[in-house]
Amino acid sequence: MTGTTAVRIRNVRKTYEGGVEALRGVSLELAAGGITALVGRSGCGKTTLLNLCGAMDFPTSGEVEVAGLITSGLGDAALTGLRRGKIGFVFQFFQLLPSLTALENVELPLLLAGAKNVRATARERLAWVGLPEKADALPYQLSGGQMQRVAIARALAHNPAILVADEPTGNLDTASGDLVLRLIRRAADEFGSAVVMATHSAEAAAIADVRVQMRDGLIESVT
Amino acid sequence: MRFAALIRQFVLRPLRRDKLRSGLTILSVALGVAVVIAVDLASDAATGSFQSSITSLVGKVDYEVSANGGVDERLMAPLTALPVNAQFAAVIEQPVAIGLKGSVTLFGVESLVDSAVAVVSSDAAERFGWKAGSTIELRGRDRTARFQVQKIVGGQSVGWVAVDIAAAQQLLDSYGRIDRIEVMVAQGEDAAGVARMVRAAVPSTYDVTTPGARSEENQRMLRAFRWNLRILSYISLLVGAFLIYNTIAVSVVRRRAEIGILRALGVSARGVLAIFLGEAAMLGAIGSVVGIGLGRVLASGMVGMISDTVNSIFITSAPAAVAISWISAAAAIGTGTAVAMVAALIPAREAARVAPAEAMRREAREHEARLHVRRDLVVAAIAAAAAVVLSQFGPIGGRPVLGYVATLFAVGAAAMISPAFVGGVIHLLRGVLRRIPGAAGLIAGRSLSASLARTSIVVTALATAISMMISVGIMVASFRETVQVWLEDQLRADIYMRAEGQPTAGIFPPLAQAVVPIIARTPGVEDVDAFHAFTFQYEGEKATFGAGISSIVQRHNTLRFLDGDAVAILQSLPGRDRVVVSEPFANKHRVHKGDVLKIALGDRVAAMTVAGIYYDYSSDRGFVISDWTTLEKYLPQQPVTNIAVYVGKGADATAVRRELELRLAEFPVAIAPNATLRRGAVEVFDRTFAVTWALEAIAIIVAMLGTANSLLALVLDRRREIGLIRYLGADDGQVRRMVLTEAGLVGLLAAGLGLMLGAALSLELIYVINKQSFGWTIQFHPPLVLLGGALLLVWVFTIAAGIYPARFAAKLQPVEAVHEE
Repeated sequence: MTGTTAVRIRNVRKTYEGGVEALRGVSLELAAGGITALVGRSGCGKTTLLNLCGAMDFPTSGEVEVAGLITSGLGDAALTGLRRGKIGFVFQFFQLLPSLTALENVELPLLLAGAKNVRATARERLAWVGLPEKADALPYQLSGGQMQRVAIARALAHNPAILVADEPTGNLDTASGDLVLRLIRRAADEFGSAVVMATHSAEAAAIADVRVQMRDGLIESVT
Repeated sequence: MRFAALIRQFVLRPLRRDKLRSGLTILSVALGVAVVIAVDLASDAATGSFQSSITSLVGKVDYEVSANGGVDERLMAPLTALPVNAQFAAVIEQPVAIGLKGSVTLFGVESLVDSAVAVVSSDAAERFGWKAGSTIELRGRDRTARFQVQKIVGGQSVGWVAVDIAAAQQLLDSYGRIDRIEVMVAQGEDAAGVARMVRAAVPSTYDVTTPGARSEENQRMLRAFRWNLRILSYISLLVGAFLIYNTIAVSVVRRRAEIGILRALGVSARGVLAIFLGEAAMLGAIGSVVGIGLGRVLASGMVGMISDTVNSIFITSAPAAVAISWISAAAAIGTGTAVAMVAALIPAREAARVAPAEAMRREAREHEARLHVRRDLVVAAIAAAAAVVLSQFGPIGGRPVLGYVATLFAVGAAAMISPAFVGGVIHLLRGVLRRIPGAAGLIAGRSLSASLARTSIVVTALATAISMMISVGIMVASFRETVQVWLEDQLRADIYMRAEGQPTAGIFPPLAQAVVPIIARTPGVEDVDAFHAFTFQYEGEKATFGAGISSIVQRHNTLRFLDGDAVAILQSLPGRDRVVVSEPFANKHRVHKGDVLKIALGDRVAAMTVAGIYYDYSSDRGFVISDWTTLEKYLPQQPVTNIAVYVGKGADATAVRRELELRLAEFPVAIAPNATLRRGAVEVFDRTFAVTWALEAIAIIVAMLGTANSLLALVLDRRREIGLIRYLGADDGQVRRMVLTEAGLVGLLAAGLGLMLGAALSLELIYVINKQSFGWTIQFHPPLVLLGGALLLVWVFTIAAGIYPARFAAKLQPVEAVHEE
């Protein structure tokens, strides 16, 4: 449902072993159906914030609420359930399983969740990203742009409430990057996912509804 | 870059970094080396010393004069009169009973002048509770004699008693015959010249040999048995070699980027080769050192098993202590290191050939593995054909050398087929794998087929161990079934008798003269087949010559011949120079029906025509059997050594046996009903193969270690993938299931390949190796239920080998695994 808050981050700090403070008191809210871009130089804390949004990591202090659940209080089983049901991931380096075909990569989250109609759903998603003819191709047979589109199809397979994208166009040429950004926009609009995207790219930042400028573990500005 | 620094940074450091996997690989090599060492040490110790232990009584012997059926005592006079500076001593060496308690070897020697005293070995003294001054009673064929123990010779592992030779002859009723004449050449005399003169003075049928030659003869008799054990032990080393190959291949793949960087920095291809061969050498050397210690321990456990077999089936021997020399240890380390380096050669050369740029890409290599599958299948077909061709040839030097080589070719063929087999089976199973919940089957199958080169090596290693289990299992079961059918066919007498005491191959203690008439007079007894057997030499090999009553054998149909009419064959024996020979004898000496054997009996050479060849599984020594009347012509008045009693129809065999036990109570006679003898024969059979099962179990353990090692390597290499799968929603249980499914698939693939290879190897074992080694015909009887159970067990163990890698995979933190900044 657009407009509702999918992720709430309240005064979160994250300190790693060795005393590195990746986040020094950050608060943010992500709306369903909207795209939030996290921009800033390397080491500013974007990836850490992304991992917190995706319930892949926990804050040292503060609170992270994902799809209505405070992540710090959840056990491994509940976190896994959250990732299965509510969160989709898109990575800079695509991260497709090299031994599975494009279709099988898209099926994977559905199989892990024990969903029904796995194949039909996966084919739909692959068609949605415009690659129905590449169902049986292995990743090494696809271009970078095609691999990222398959990764997006995989991330959207289970209709996630939150889509976490880490530099989704970082490894793509301009044309492929534009295509991927259009798909991300459509994902927010058509699936109602709250998209949070870490990026250095001005084009990627341009499609965002909210632009969060970060520096040294803090939010500098939100526009 | 200095070589030492290269070794430290690029060989030692990676090994230290991956302690668990390095440890597993070292342990695999250690077990392989340990088994080879253990079998050699244990066999050496078990076969022990064959030499007479009475050197302290007679002095150092330079030559022995001996003959089939014994030496004529009258030869002492002409030998003593020879113009040589040497001493000649007559020796008797025969088994005697100690009351009804057991038996020892009796030596009759000339150096003990007092005919009332005996010198005994420490082994005999311990066994029978004798002390210096004790009075002991020895029982010969028909007489008993008492002696006082004058001295106990310490450090002896065989039971013997030495008395004056005249007293021995009286006890054994062997007047005029002795077992050998020992020749002691004086210092300064030309020993070879003495030997020449002695040969000229004795009949041509006599042997003049060195004491060592007797030992060498005995060693030759054991050679087939020892060689087969040795080859079995090499299987574990072969499996270890496959695993070294896999470890280095994995290392090359994982360090591909490192290789690229090194090459870019100026390290030559040879330097890269040296790094990986160095890694293999290190693993091999450390594994070998550990293996020496393990092997020493294993050998102590195996000595008893091997010694048991040697004594039961081949020859009397006393086990010696297990001892490893520095030279043997150095050889073991050299061999283990060399095998590891040879095993690593192919992946090390691949690493050296890779150009810096290509080293960064992994997919190209796996793609190459797929491209070579067709070529590998052609090579496999050629190897399989070579195995078949080599199997058609006969033994070399009495050993089935080409049979062993054919086995290697068969294993090589299986290794070449493995990638196609793995890929094909996984493809066939894809529908089934998809049905395993949580994508475990899908990912496991794809993961294994994507790493085809690695997967196929692990599968081949495990399949090799499984094939050994299958082939030996089929061979032993077939052999057992053949022997049991033979026992039912051939052992038809109701009661069997021999002299009391531990039965030992090649030794046939005489029974008292009164025994046969007592048995014949016993009510219910229909036939008494009295048999005489003794060990003799034929073409430099020991065999057994026996004489029985062929009419009784014919009546009860107890010999089955390879061809010809049994009745006609047996009827042709009495009073004529005709014999029947056992199948092992015929195979060993390439004898056919109708051939004439020249056999030295006493001081004459008998020309015996082979009337028939019969199946026999009691010993691989080989039997030559004549009728009593034939033996009497050449060696008259020989004692009965074995008796088969046939009870009449309608008589109660148990009652007859009890009556015989009563009537023969005062004689040291072991009486066994038919069922007991058959059971005993099967027990000896089972004990013979005990050490074989132990070797197989070790090969399976080595393969399991390798499987666990390889699965762990696969998990480590797929950290990123596993982390990604966690991102996609997999929980701990699903990740564990994926790895365990992989383990199960590896086990299934190995079982399939191992079964096919094992079935092929079983044919090689039964129809080529066993036949050429021992001369037996074995009927093919695969134990399907047993094999099925064994395969299931191995499959379960393979899954168990995946438990640690599965737990390791489940503990991987997804963020650390996928982290890109």
